[in-house]
Amino acid sequence: MGELLRRIQMIFHRNRVSAELEEEMQLHLDLREQANLAAGSSAATAHRETYVRFGNPTVMRERSLSAWGWSWLESLAQDVAYGFRSMLRTPVLTAVALLSLGLGIGANTAIFSFLDAIVLRSLPVKQPSQLLLLGKGDGAGITNGYGSTNLYSYPFFREFQEKNGVFSDVATVFSIGNRPYSTVDRRGQMEPITVDIVSGSFFHTLGIEPMLGRTLNPSDDNSEGDHPVAMISYSWWQRALASDPNVLSHTVKLGDTTFNIVGVAPPGFFGIMVGHAPDVWVPMSMMKTVPPHWDGYKHNFYESNFIFGRLRPGVTIQQAEANVNLLRQQIIRSFPDAKLNDYNLRRLTQAHVSMTRMMTGLSYLRNDFSDPLKILMGVTAMVLLIACANIANLLLARSTVRAREFAVRQALGAGRMRLVRQLLTESLLLSLAGGALGIIFAVVANRFLLRMLSGGSDADTIPLDVSLNLRMLLYSLGATVLTAVVFGMVPALKASRVEVTDALKDGHGASSSASRGPLGKVLVVGQVAISLVLTVAAVLFLRSLVNLMHVDTGFTRNNVLRLEIDSDVLGLPAKDPRMIAMFREIEQRVDAVTGVKAASFASFFFNQGSWNGGVNVPGTNYNDNVNIKHNVIGDGYFDTLQIPLTGRAFGPQDTATSHGVAIISESMARDLFPAGVNPIGRHYFLDRVPNPEDDVEVVGVVKDVKFGSLQENKQYIDYIPNSHHPWGYGSLAVRYEGDFNTVAAAVQQAIHSVNRTLPISHITTLDEQVARSITNQRLVAQVSAFFGVLAVFLSAIGIYGLMSYVVSRRTNEIGIRMALGAERAGVRWMVMREILVLIVTGIAIGAVLALAASRLVTSMLYGLHATEPGNLALAMVVLLAVALAAGYLPARRASQVSPMEALRCE
Amino acid sequence: MRRDEIPPGTLYLLVLKTLARHGELHGYEIAEAIERGSEDVLQVEEGSLYPALQRMLLKGWVTAEWGVTAGNRRARYYKLTAPGRKQLAAEQSQFERVFGAISRIVQTA
Repeated sequence: MGELLRRIQMIFHRNRVSAELEEEMQLHLDLREQANLAAGSSAATAHRETYVRFGNPTVMRERSLSAWGWSWLESLAQDVAYGFRSMLRTPVLTAVALLSLGLGIGANTAIFSFLDAIVLRSLPVKQPSQLLLLGKGDGAGITNGYGSTNLYSYPFFREFQEKNGVFSDVATVFSIGNRPYSTVDRRGQMEPITVDIVSGSFFHTLGIEPMLGRTLNPSDDNSEGDHPVAMISYSWWQRALASDPNVLSHTVKLGDTTFNIVGVAPPGFFGIMVGHAPDVWVPMSMMKTVPPHWDGYKHNFYESNFIFGRLRPGVTIQQAEANVNLLRQQIIRSFPDAKLNDYNLRRLTQAHVSMTRMMTGLSYLRNDFSDPLKILMGVTAMVLLIACANIANLLLARSTVRAREFAVRQALGAGRMRLVRQLLTESLLLSLAGGALGIIFAVVANRFLLRMLSGGSDADTIPLDVSLNLRMLLYSLGATVLTAVVFGMVPALKASRVEVTDALKDGHGASSSASRGPLGKVLVVGQVAISLVLTVAAVLFLRSLVNLMHVDTGFTRNNVLRLEIDSDVLGLPAKDPRMIAMFREIEQRVDAVTGVKAASFASFFFNQGSWNGGVNVPGTNYNDNVNIKHNVIGDGYFDTLQIPLTGRAFGPQDTATSHGVAIISESMARDLFPAGVNPIGRHYFLDRVPNPEDDVEVVGVVKDVKFGSLQENKQYIDYIPNSHHPWGYGSLAVRYEGDFNTVAAAVQQAIHSVNRTLPISHITTLDEQVARSITNQRLVAQVSAFFGVLAVFLSAIGIYGLMSYVVSRRTNEIGIRMALGAERAGVRWMVMREILVLIVTGIAIGAVLALAASRLVTSMLYGLHATEPGNLALAMVVLLAVALAAGYLPARRASQVSPMEALRCE
Repeated sequence: MRRDEIPPGTLYLLVLKTLARHGELHGYEIAEAIERGSEDVLQVEEGSLYPALQRMLLKGWVTAEWGVTAGNRRARYYKLTAPGRKQLAAEQSQFERVFGAISRIVQTA
């Protein structure tokens, strides 16, 4: 222990130790010489005797210093310093190599961190492999269809929990995430809190132990409305309660109800939905008190919940599925209010529930980003390959050029191992420096990607644990280190075996030129091939993105301000006349703001989910597969979005008591109404069955618009006034002219002049909202374009490097040719021909790869086919042009060789 | 005058023993003491004392402090530590065992 400490102290005082040694040895020598003189020796003899008895002082000092065991460090330091100097001798090549390595490692690590977080990582719960979900887990919402296999009512859950024989524990979670404005303790400020509503069995089923207090338990949801208790997440406990250990004394007020906090979940736990991290969990028994006051606790057909269970030991997934399907039929039929008509029975019996493993949890992110991330992973892996090839080429080139240097050093007595070790140090230095850069890039890229995935700088950040993936970092670092070591070693071993005399003679040892050629050429061909694949990918994704950006949405997307308010804080149901009046008044006040041309609320603008249902149009056959998207809107909706309308818009004449009206989309009018008849003035029912209260009169027809996504086909949409089907609005759109910020401030003021307590958030533009819907396409296009360009650039460097090298080696051959009368153009062509062969070979291989790979991305392209020859041709032309330009420079240099000089250099 | 090289591996023992007998010494004094103590039979390659002393410093068997010689020059004085004393005992008993065995064999022949 003390020995290690002294050893370490020594490094820091190395110079002093050395000086002290010298001093005490000098004393020794002086004293010995004096003693010799005193014994009667002559001055010369005394001096010689002294040194004979002492030995070589320099050697003794070195041996003394090496006693401390640091000599390896010293020679390493020498090698590293030497490595740095030799890297700086070719600063551009080194910078390119480092940058490409850094980008390769960084991008791989960052993309993989996301792939891992979204697609691969297991849920942080007890034995997640035993968890099964009923249905596929897609499509959150509320339905009552008898055919639902994903969503279930809470009473169904209770029955299922009791009757099933295949799960040891069963739990349920309300499928819609809630983010009501809430009050912590008695603070003055309300803040949005993400609340999940779960069964009391939720935590026990997942095997989660509380970090503090207790979890929710089954007794918390056995009677409605009287269990105001909440479990909170670890991160919210840190954030909102400053990690107060006395957490049980805190409360959180959701709507009108104050919930007592009973426990804190362990760190990292977020439930079952990846990318959705609730702050607070409350029992199902309290769902009606949580804004916006869902009322499903006792309703047998309020199908709004996901159900999952932990498989009993020894039960197979097939047995579980059989049991679930059997029970589903039995339980739904047994509900006293079940309407078991032919239609419902058919839907009930036809639907089959398949079971989904919950190992990695559920995730809406996964649907959107799983494929893009896998593709980007492929792209960045290829970039890493190219970067490695680049490093390999660099090291090969450098070591061959240095054959002469090694020969000199060997001639001077340097050990072979010492030379190999030095080359190895330089290779490692290069790859480790690249790795360090990679870590920096990865951290930056992680932030950038999380921003992009979340939908831009003004969006809420998705709660996702994307801390750097250490495994991937080590993996990519390992790949580069290995490349560097292999490609640094091969020439090192070769160089150290160089015939000393040969190499010394001209420095252009014949032995190395023959072997360096093929390896370097293979690397360049590989680079070109991979670059072509990446270029094709970049072309495809960019064209697809451009197509998407030019999609006609049907509405005018620029100059529209969008914001969200939370009307749930008022605690009034949507149908309360005060609410209806308030929304109208906000619309009017905002309308009156200077710079505002029109304003309207709507239940959905673009890409905000939907409320679907069947409709019954008298005189046509009912088609069960036709789903209409309903949109509840304010009077100024069509003016705000500038959607052309025939007929009339909604207005003050449409009141709660007037007859129902609707405006329908062109496609709906064309396909669902009898042909050749003007739909305006005709009636239909807003339900499958013709109930008189669902009867509406068509008062207008509007142009088709995109509703959920830019990629979707024509949608059947109908619009309903808020007075007839009151909606607790959140989304407001304002068409404006002039300065966005000025208008935004004035609009907020106008809203608060109607009601001061309304929280306003997510102020953005409709443009931005549309752009956000194609985040993943944009991400893939931008990243693949960036790396495509990088790949082409790296290949160009590779070609340039290789050809410069070839030309410099053939200088005297070229000189002789020119002396014998070869034309400059001929020489240029001779060199270019060599380049051309490499590039064409690379492109041919790349084309085959690209065609094979493009099949994988077909589903991600919009408005073009992956196999269109134009894309490939474009990529080929780009690559060929860049590659030839890179090769032309060395070719020109070759043609400018002066024969005299070339021959003299021999 | 004929001198013998010291047997390999015994330099530590000699230095430790010398320091144990004389207390604080600097390098030259250690060399002198060894040669005098052996009645000029043993000769140290004097410079090799210093690597040995450095290793002993590292092991913690000795400590060193700068002082001033009689001739008024700076010198580094070495002193035995407690671990050094223990090491001396160990080396000494090992030495006696080995040389005892060797001398028994040599004398019987």
